[in-house]
Amino acid sequence: MTGANAGLAKKLGYTNVRGFLGGEPAWVKAGHPVYASYDYVEKGNIVLIDLRPGGETVEGRIPRSIPLTIDELERRINDIPRNAPVVLYGDDQDDVMYAFDELRWQGYKNVSLVRGNYEGWVAAGKPIVTGPVFSTEIKWVRKLGKGEVSVEEFRKATLGQLPDTFVIDARTDEEIAQLGIFKNTVNIPLDEIPKRMDEIPKDKRIFIHCSTGARADLAYRELVKNGYDVKFLLLDISDPECDCPIIRP
Amino acid sequence: MKNHWLRLGIPLTLLAVTLLFAGCARDTASVAQQEQASSAQTEKQAAAVYTGSIVGKSNKAQTVSIEVGKGADAQTYMLKFDDDTTGIEHAEPGEAAIINWEQRGEDKFAVDIKPKLATLPEGVTEIDVDELYQLIENDTPMVLADARPESRYNQAHLPGAVNLPVPLLTEKKEAVLPKDKDTLLIFYCGGFT
Repeated sequence: MTGANAGLAKKLGYTNVRGFLGGEPAWVKAGHPVYASYDYVEKGNIVLIDLRPGGETVEGRIPRSIPLTIDELERRINDIPRNAPVVLYGDDQDDVMYAFDELRWQGYKNVSLVRGNYEGWVAAGKPIVTGPVFSTEIKWVRKLGKGEVSVEEFRKATLGQLPDTFVIDARTDEEIAQLGIFKNTVNIPLDEIPKRMDEIPKDKRIFIHCSTGARADLAYRELVKNGYDVKFLLLDISDPECDCPIIRP
Repeated sequence: MKNHWLRLGIPLTLLAVTLLFAGCARDTASVAQQEQASSAQTEKQAAAVYTGSIVGKSNKAQTVSIEVGKGADAQTYMLKFDDDTTGIEHAEPGEAAIINWEQRGEDKFAVDIKPKLATLPEGVTEIDVDELYQLIENDTPMVLADARPESRYNQAHLPGAVNLPVPLLTEKKEAVLPKDKDTLLIFYCGGFT
């Protein structure tokens, strides 16, 4: 895309055109901050944290923000789901950068900042809320991505409550021998799916899982390509949230 | 160090606002028709090469998947790999790659995986992260333009960057670029594409 745009600009007669091929990933990897647009801060499915240390939040804060000082953030870091996009703001850029680095170091991949911090938000005429904060509970819920099945629906299938659904376990034979398999499930390891397609019924809906979701995602694409109605489970199945019945080895 | 992001945010923001009002950031259509065409061609010319974007890799199943083509015509192919496969370290999700493969029995086997390096059009010079950082740090007058779709830009973009997805620039041309054609323009996107 960089090349396409740079080429267009060149054709339009711009004389000083450069391309940053490393792009946003290289920028972030080098430890530099990235910014969320105001619209996304207002409406995105994010965890928004107000890092200002005093009682300023009562006088005004960005809607949906959770006030957490740096210390509180470090103490409560496990309350923030690792896959949640986190947006930070404060009144001191050093504090904000400290928290930004800390979160990135802790494995949060989507962390961004509010341009100009709280001051910039207010100056841009964006809405604020005032008054006491009654709860600092973090209630972020991930939205299901394309092709994903919810844990609840997947569980129903393993409980045998969805007779029109065929559940595939894409893990290896060794993993199943060691850990067991969910009920009402058929094991076809990911790499065998292309040649064992005839074992997968065309007239049923397919759910597919593995250990974390990575292989299930690949298998999902393979089955979609072959005309199946398929969904995959994106979840570490050792997560207590799964709570599906297992046939132990 | 303190507050310099804040400082540089202001002039760039003004520039960004001027540009945005010219009609940016509305078009979120998917991109790169040319790429699609060229990938499809590669497919036809040499069936034993897949050029595209790595979808995922499973070390447990020794399988790698690659998406060839873009949008509705995109096809995902699954290939096996083994200890003899060279360049497996280039099979990172989201990276552009070229996979040379061969048919072994019922399986497609990746023989060699190379990163697909993006090239810039003639007359366009590359800039690295350190130089770009310095330019931003020094408040260098320029337009920094993010070519990714609006949703990605909204989540996280470089300080002072404006959003110029390829379809938008294709449609609006000069209207979304500065009047002075000698202005420094720097384009970036989500990596080597």
